[in-house]
Amino acid sequence: MTSSFSLPWSKKKAKIVWIDLGDLGDLVHPDGPHEQWQDHGLGLLRTILHQNGIITDVVSTRAVTSWDQLKKQLAGYDMALMNVRSYTFPAGRKAAEIFKQVNPHGVVSAGGMHATVAPDEMLKVPYFDHICQGPGEKVIVDLVRDPGAFPRLIQGVGASSMAEWPMIDRTLWPKPASRRVSRKFNWPLEPECGWGPPPVATILTSRVCPWQCVFCNENSYIPNMGRRPVDAVIEELNYLDDHYGVGSIVIHDSMFFQNPSWLREWIAKYPRDANKPWPYWAAARSDTVRQWPDLFEALIRETGWNMVSIGFESGSDRILRLLNKECTEDDNNFTIDLVNRVGDDMARQGKEPPRFWANIMLGIPGETHEDAFQTMRMLKRMKRVYPSISYYAPYPGSALGFQIIAEGKSLMSMENYHRFPDDEKVKGVDYNFYRELLAGKYDAEVNRGLSAEETRRGYQGLYAQTLTKA
Amino acid sequence: MMSSFSNPHYMYLFSLTNGKHKLAYGESPEDALAILSIRLTPQEMAEIIRDDYIKISQRELQKYAKDLG
Repeated sequence: MTSSFSLPWSKKKAKIVWIDLGDLGDLVHPDGPHEQWQDHGLGLLRTILHQNGIITDVVSTRAVTSWDQLKKQLAGYDMALMNVRSYTFPAGRKAAEIFKQVNPHGVVSAGGMHATVAPDEMLKVPYFDHICQGPGEKVIVDLVRDPGAFPRLIQGVGASSMAEWPMIDRTLWPKPASRRVSRKFNWPLEPECGWGPPPVATILTSRVCPWQCVFCNENSYIPNMGRRPVDAVIEELNYLDDHYGVGSIVIHDSMFFQNPSWLREWIAKYPRDANKPWPYWAAARSDTVRQWPDLFEALIRETGWNMVSIGFESGSDRILRLLNKECTEDDNNFTIDLVNRVGDDMARQGKEPPRFWANIMLGIPGETHEDAFQTMRMLKRMKRVYPSISYYAPYPGSALGFQIIAEGKSLMSMENYHRFPDDEKVKGVDYNFYRELLAGKYDAEVNRGLSAEETRRGYQGLYAQTLTKA
Repeated sequence: MMSSFSNPHYMYLFSLTNGKHKLAYGESPEDALAILSIRLTPQEMAEIIRDDYIKISQRELQKYAKDLG
């Protein structure tokens, strides 16, 4: 296991700096594992630059605890690059401002999902000299070599297939920034996230979920792209294991459980060709599980898919329709019953049963108390579950977000995008009801119709602790 | 009700009486209006011109964002 720890006054070698974005201090004294996960966009693009002879340094807003610390690290560079997501937009804007203060003639180029979905907000920030919408892997080298040849707003160009992507050089990711964090980080792999054994290797096999849920809509902005070949995924995992020792995997795909022919090849090759059948986290939809149940069950039983992330979102058909989820209560219940049954069977055989990573959304405009009770009731039907509960957040770029912003009902703004879990995000939503719901005040209503065993799941206050960033 | 494998959804842009547009989605324009009514008040629904709409691609969302109300 490699343990590394960077000091802010480390010697600089380059004139170009990547600014890794996140909340201040996340790599110094993180609240949880997810803040420590690394940015695959940064890793991929920085790898491409280095393979083309363009050497960059990296600093991180997550590796400092004050903006003054960041300012000292940014002095002396000619160019800053950053990958901006909506929830890192405030940090990106501040970092760009500081970069310009200390390097008045320096150039700041920013891309990423927020640049893609909300270019108007990016264009209002004078510190961004170039804003790249969409994928950047085919434009980044030319942009960095000759930024003056590009307009301020650039249409990015992506690869047609992930097969064209190089393997990320993970040593280009930022390092943990305190001795305490570095001891457990496993850099350049990543820390344990609460289930599989460390070190964790996060990886992408596909890009973009093709469905149209109106709280996301990533498919509106990123073109379809060929999936990474199964052999290439396994080859990278084996490489990481040979060099750093892999303990478990997080497949970061927005939607892992799609493309049945790829999944069948994964079932055939992963148990056979991987150094070890590392357990993994990956995502599905309940309607895909219902469509291909045998394939789903084979993945669990034969490949070690033991943390099954499902975007259940709601236990109410009314709200699933409102979210354009195109899944139903019946789809959700089918998936819960299947994973409960397979889990029981595997437990009887002495094997580790699969668990749900259950993505749940509350505080959706139009949601009634009974809708919310149905959602919590659905959660209690899961025998083995890590609940991941968040309040609906109307981000620009999503269909429902655009509409709620236009109606003047959003409490989020470009000044306060972030992922603090208990923030109030939409006008007219009774957040006090949800706080009391998660604290257990309405357990009698939630437990209606559940079995005695199901009512005992989720002790009072448990669900309040599982409120996560959104 | 069927899920995505049996009944695809579409996006619609309805005109509003104030000249703006309302983004909606569903299996049909009628279904999209029914879904809108889940979260909008009767007064807000009354501002929608129900037979004045276009079907849009989700890839064109950004193009229409400034016209929403």
